[in-house]
Amino acid sequence: MGSVLKPPGHRVPSPLSRRSFLIGAAGTGIVLGFMRPGLAAVDALSTPPDQLFEPTVWYSIGRDGSVTVNIAKAEMGQHIGTALARIVADELEADWERVQLAYVDTDPKWGYMVTGGSWSVSHSFMPLSQAGAAGRIALIEEGAKLLGADREACSARNGMVSAGDQSIAYGDIVARGDLRRVYSADELKQMPIKQPADRRLIGHDTSAIDIPSKTDGSARYGLDAEVEGMIYARPKIPPTRNGSKVLSIDDQAAKTVKGYISSIALEDPSDTVPGWVMVFADSVTAAIRAADKVTVQWQAGDTANVSEQDILDHGGAQIADPKGGSLLVNDDGLEPAFAAAKTTLEQTYTTSSMLHFQLEPVNGLAFEKDGVFEIHTGNQWQSLILPVLAKALGVGQDKIIMRTYLIGGGFGRRLNGDYAVPVALATKAVGKPVKMVCTRADDARFDSFRSPSIQTLRMAFGEGGRVTAMDHHAAAGWPTGVMAPSSMPKGVNGVPYDPFSISGADHWYTVGAQRVRALSNDLANRAFRPGWLRSVGPGWTNWAVESFMDEAAHAAGIDAVAFRLGLLDGTGRNAGTAPFSVGGARRQAAVLKRVAERGGWGSAMPKDTGLGIATTFGQERDMPTWVACVARVRVNRGNGVVTLEKLSLVVDAGSIVHPDGALAQVEGAALWGASMALHEGTEFVKGQVKDTNLDTYTPLRMGDVPEMDIELVESAEMPTGLGEPATTVVGPAIANAIFAAVGARLRHLPMRPPAVLQALSSKS
Amino acid sequence: MVKRILIGFAALVALGVLGFALLAWRPALDPIDPPAAASFPPELTARGEVLAAGGYCATCHTQKGGKPYAGGYGLPTPFGVIYSTNITPDPDTGIGRWSEAAFARAMHEGVARDGSHLFPAFPFDHFTKLSGDDLEALYAYFMTRAPVKAAPRRNTVPFPFNVRALQAGWKLLFFKKGTYEPDAAKSVEWNRGAYLAEGLSHCGACHTPRNLLGAEKAGDAYGGAIVEGWIAPALTDANPAPVSWAQNELFSYLMSGTSVLHGTAAGSMSEVVHDGLAKLPRSDVNAIAVYFADIDSSSTRMAGFEATVAKAVASSGLGSRQDYGADAHLYLAACGSCHYNRGAMPVAVRPELALNSALTLPEPTNFVKVVLSGIGLKDGMSGVMMPGFAHALSDSDIGRLAAYLRRTRTDLPAWTDLDAKVTAIRKEAAGSQ
Amino acid sequence: MTTFQVNGRTVAVDVAPDTPLLWVLRDEIGLKGTKFGCGIGMCGACTVHVEGRAIRSCITPLDAVAGATVTTIEGLDPDGQHPLQKAWIKTQAPQCGYCQSGQIMQAASMLKDFPDPTDRDIDAVMGGSLCRCMAYIRIRKAIKIAAAEMRGDASNG
Ligand code: FES
Ligand code: FES
Repeated sequence: MGSVLKPPGHRVPSPLSRRSFLIGAAGTGIVLGFMRPGLAAVDALSTPPDQLFEPTVWYSIGRDGSVTVNIAKAEMGQHIGTALARIVADELEADWERVQLAYVDTDPKWGYMVTGGSWSVSHSFMPLSQAGAAGRIALIEEGAKLLGADREACSARNGMVSAGDQSIAYGDIVARGDLRRVYSADELKQMPIKQPADRRLIGHDTSAIDIPSKTDGSARYGLDAEVEGMIYARPKIPPTRNGSKVLSIDDQAAKTVKGYISSIALEDPSDTVPGWVMVFADSVTAAIRAADKVTVQWQAGDTANVSEQDILDHGGAQIADPKGGSLLVNDDGLEPAFAAAKTTLEQTYTTSSMLHFQLEPVNGLAFEKDGVFEIHTGNQWQSLILPVLAKALGVGQDKIIMRTYLIGGGFGRRLNGDYAVPVALATKAVGKPVKMVCTRADDARFDSFRSPSIQTLRMAFGEGGRVTAMDHHAAAGWPTGVMAPSSMPKGVNGVPYDPFSISGADHWYTVGAQRVRALSNDLANRAFRPGWLRSVGPGWTNWAVESFMDEAAHAAGIDAVAFRLGLLDGTGRNAGTAPFSVGGARRQAAVLKRVAERGGWGSAMPKDTGLGIATTFGQERDMPTWVACVARVRVNRGNGVVTLEKLSLVVDAGSIVHPDGALAQVEGAALWGASMALHEGTEFVKGQVKDTNLDTYTPLRMGDVPEMDIELVESAEMPTGLGEPATTVVGPAIANAIFAAVGARLRHLPMRPPAVLQALSSKS
Repeated sequence: MVKRILIGFAALVALGVLGFALLAWRPALDPIDPPAAASFPPELTARGEVLAAGGYCATCHTQKGGKPYAGGYGLPTPFGVIYSTNITPDPDTGIGRWSEAAFARAMHEGVARDGSHLFPAFPFDHFTKLSGDDLEALYAYFMTRAPVKAAPRRNTVPFPFNVRALQAGWKLLFFKKGTYEPDAAKSVEWNRGAYLAEGLSHCGACHTPRNLLGAEKAGDAYGGAIVEGWIAPALTDANPAPVSWAQNELFSYLMSGTSVLHGTAAGSMSEVVHDGLAKLPRSDVNAIAVYFADIDSSSTRMAGFEATVAKAVASSGLGSRQDYGADAHLYLAACGSCHYNRGAMPVAVRPELALNSALTLPEPTNFVKVVLSGIGLKDGMSGVMMPGFAHALSDSDIGRLAAYLRRTRTDLPAWTDLDAKVTAIRKEAAGSQ
Repeated sequence: MTTFQVNGRTVAVDVAPDTPLLWVLRDEIGLKGTKFGCGIGMCGACTVHVEGRAIRSCITPLDAVAGATVTTIEGLDPDGQHPLQKAWIKTQAPQCGYCQSGQIMQAASMLKDFPDPTDRDIDAVMGGSLCRCMAYIRIRKAIKIAAAEMRGDASNG
């Protein structure tokens, strides 16, 4: 089956284009002078396939003993390749120094291709472990033969099979032995894997394989893709995301730009990029400058006048209407519990539009060769966009290959592969390879940003502050509803819902009668394309739940930690189930207690300084990562500036494949949470986002980083995700800390200084 | 510099034309056969070369991409464009037939060989101070250049302003002929500096404000003026730099284009330094520094400058740590990497904005101009460049930056109308390119 | 034709003189290690050295570097073993890695001015280099490790 595929990301580009030359150097030395080799994976190309041992599609071993692990996941900073290779190599007993990565194309044999939701490690753990185990067994069998030893006397370690004092390297077994074996899917499933205590790589720190290339400029991203004869394109982005039509194009002024080629309106049968105009030129600069000079008349879609507040108002009206929406939880006795309550609490929380602002603006290279369209770009969810591309191009999916490059920041932006569509259409239209480069502003205006959200939460209290019922309504744009509606599960009332837009509201607290209602804000869905953004819905649902829990604890007159612990009793549906949520709410209670200790909960604070706490289960009930956070902030009452002094986090993500890498993910995710809480956010104004570059969009930077204290709970449970969960606790922890510091309650994200000042002045 | 000094013509009309001829008339001086280059001693020519640099002759007498000293550089005025003349020794189109006396008369009196009056775009009001020796050296230098045939371009100044005779009235009102008179009360060095500053290097041409007729205001020498859209700051004790300009800082600035306590030469001052003063002997540059350090009375104003510097450097990291006003953020991301300082003194290659008069001038002009167009590698401090942000930041972004820095780095009142001013400066800069 | 030095070689490029250096480096000379993030000088992804000092190449026109010496991430150290690069690997600083060429070039320039950088120095100078993955903690740590190594080298040598 299959051969090692050329990793497209590592093509060595020709160093000089036709417009430049070198002085004082000639011949191939030029190439070497500029380029160092890319990832070691390139070397694997020189090994002919017939000399490889490839027991499954997931890896191969060369005669030289090198192990190439095929990575069908997108690499965007989570070092996923290293994590997956480590799982294979541990079972395979490979020599880690000889392990290399190959990023694959979209051949159907790789199965469903998606990288997101922090599932990669979790979902791949068993199959990859079993694939590794299969290889080890075969190598031992064959090695025993070659050594003339008894199979039972042989063991594998570090890329060698040994029996007593003789041993043979894997490469030699590949070269000399007969490793032909085929395992059926069932056989692989039965393959036993190591006990956690026997693991040599998993759970131990090893260097990520992709990192050296990211320090010397040799790593290749989508922006770096090139092919002979390509021209450049920059889009003119229409006034509305949906429903825009091109009326006329005037490129008279663009003709003064040297290198300008032409401008065309794209015809898009898939309706992914309606109203797009592509401006072609022979360089990026010429394309950028020419596009500035091309004037397009559009007929805008019917959402051209929609703004942020309209969307929030619409969501508010949806919440006020008891009809509609999908019910995730709908316990009997909710309304009676409210009717009988001693007291009730109701609050509404909102969040602003947030941009992905991944550092690499979206781009793509496409060309047609022998009737097959090749699309070179960084992408997280190839299986989602392939059918769309097929529709756009009017060809079968077998006529499209996507080659995935390193991604300069994903955060969910590249789950939505819409940017591949205009590139593909452009190459089809001009009959030449086309490289599309979006400017930062183009990227922002084309972003499928995180929808603004509005949520109303209610709680009923009985005697002594006992919680008897909880009700949660959340309205926002639904990315899954817009882009992958068939994958939406159904609520208990039979109505499909976007799990990404409500997850988190179905929390693990035992609150008596509970209702969770998810509402798709159809105005948002029409006015822009809502996107999955790091942690997606849990970024707003947990913000509301955990702010609300704090308010509820206050209302009940109970300490915020004690109040939560009282509800995290692990009973009923909160008990947890195998494989992923074993232990249920009690594991959440454990991280909460632990972080309270680490974060100094209850200790005296200086003036205008406060601690806030929050806890979540990360992403989804099916695959919870238990997280808790204490934030310490100081509030300047004069100007409303909130200084985030410290974040303490405790995370239980089951067993950790790569502790240092896990830590990096938690660090990044927690700082994302802080950035979205205090620093960044935009506004949708008349069909477009207001902030399109860093002069006004202000993500967290070096100096904004607080002191950080992170603990990863040691656990032998199934690993869960790490890329996103920490994002979800930081915002509410900061809001609760602001309240603790100065008594001002903020119910809108982000919490910018003017809002803090306003909350300070309006508190009675 | 002198390139675009506004020349006031308007009121000349009022002086009347009749009866003026007598006053205006100057004889033509006889043409000569161009002297052989070999007839000038090389030492004299070499001295002339240095003087020509110190007077920035090439700056005005060379057009962009043209041959040195062949003229044709256009000086826009409200009345039209005045083109500089060819001062190579070409006999037909240059000054090849000018005797030394004719050359000296032009320099000292602003009268051409043919007797016509020169427009005061040519700063003969300064050159009149030059010694005979220096004129001799300059004459030797120019007469030994390669002759270039380049006919003078016609000025676009319309009647009656093009009547050269009218210049005689201007001279009557504003021009005082005479070589430099040393001030016996001052040091030799001071006098040397004054001679250079007021004569050859004609500093007042840019730094002294002009009256409606385009003449330097007699009572306000070095009081500061607008030149080529830049503010040429006052060189007197009205200079608004946070730390006054002491002699050693002036020296360093005039020699290298930069001063740790003030910043970097930009705009035409950069040309003054790198194309002009850099060629003078160090002692001459130092003499100029001595002269201006006296004029701005820095010795009496330096008291406590360490505290000013310390405060400036302490403010340098503002905006970098959880100070997330949008403006602070803008500054941090766009400027802080290069301009941040710490310690007792700023790092020379990191111009400290809190010490820069671009922030303390009454108008944001110089600040905005530098942000828009940057500073080239060969300008300001050699080897250190700042890219311009004209294509990167909007007028409102630059306005926010200006307001933020003025607010946080100085105690001065806020600049007003910033957005409109940035828009206007951007437009003017684009137009002049 | 504009001529300048890049990573020790002389290069002549025939494109419009106002073309940003970033695109000249990437598309004309083939040095793809320098990245494009914002195009307005505010993310630092495009940072290279001109005459040894960090400069945002996205807003630096080609003609501004005529005759000058430019160094990119590929030329910072012939073997990719600059103390900063080693420290970056040691701390496993890069996540997606897209910002890191710029971060390293900015840090290398900073260490010339501040060989023993304080947290405040790092906040202020590195504040112009956005890391969207927010790998800041490790970047800070790596800078300090590299600074220590470089100071050690200097005093030993
Ligand atoms: S791309 Fe140059 S600073 Fe962002
Ligand atoms: S590592 Fe991804 S932007 Fe810095």
